[in-house]
Amino acid sequence: MKPFRARRGQVVARLDRAEAGVVGLLLDQLEQLLLADPEDSTGDPVITRLLPAGHRSDRALADDYRDLTEQTLREGKADDLATVRATLPADGGDVRLDADQAGAWLRTSNDLRLALGTRLDISEESEPPEEIVDDGDHQLAVYYWLTALQGSLVDALVAARAGRR
Amino acid sequence: MAGPLAPTRTPETMAEERGELDRPWVTIVWNDPVNLMNYVTFVLQELFGYDEPTATTLMLQVHHEGKAIVSSGPRERMEHDTSRLHAYGLWASYQRDS
Repeated sequence: MKPFRARRGQVVARLDRAEAGVVGLLLDQLEQLLLADPEDSTGDPVITRLLPAGHRSDRALADDYRDLTEQTLREGKADDLATVRATLPADGGDVRLDADQAGAWLRTSNDLRLALGTRLDISEESEPPEEIVDDGDHQLAVYYWLTALQGSLVDALVAARAGRR
Repeated sequence: MAGPLAPTRTPETMAEERGELDRPWVTIVWNDPVNLMNYVTFVLQELFGYDEPTATTLMLQVHHEGKAIVSSGPRERMEHDTSRLHAYGLWASYQRDS
């Protein structure tokens, strides 16, 4: 991976073929989760984290909030996911994003990290795996790879913003 | 003062009602182990227009104290702010200011 950099009003990164494949698979998994019948995914800790309660102690207010916002939030996530898929080079290559597309990558890569981080029970003390022995190590490595990608995207957007001033 | 036109609400109860109305609602961001520090700062700037030092101070408050109030105002606006933060995956909720 070549991390994101700001370049002439855009942000650009390069993914190799395997990395683009991993992102594509993660997008499919996230989409399945978001498209699942809410009745079936209720109580799934990843869904709870992606669509949290708006109010922590008042059940009626939390229900109101969900009625008011959940559909819009789900649609926003679906739109972002479609944008990421459309700008992901399936066989590897440059990812070249304008401001709107970068926003979609920012939110979707964060959702992927929230989903993986919740499944892997990430804490502030968690660290990247030293070697990859089992599937858990592999998923942890993917999580930290996404962290590096998203971190570079934030830095590139901050640099782009400073450049516009 | 007693008479048909005398106010039925005493100054005290009126003040209480006013206090209830004036007490704003707040939007809170809670600490979580996944969201990156530079990401939280960036999102607070994008959504609320905070300058970089203000957004960084709020982010550090979330990180060190577990939560920070990022906006306050009428309930409807706090619902809206909470949903904008949820769209970015920040762990947010709204409540009446305590």
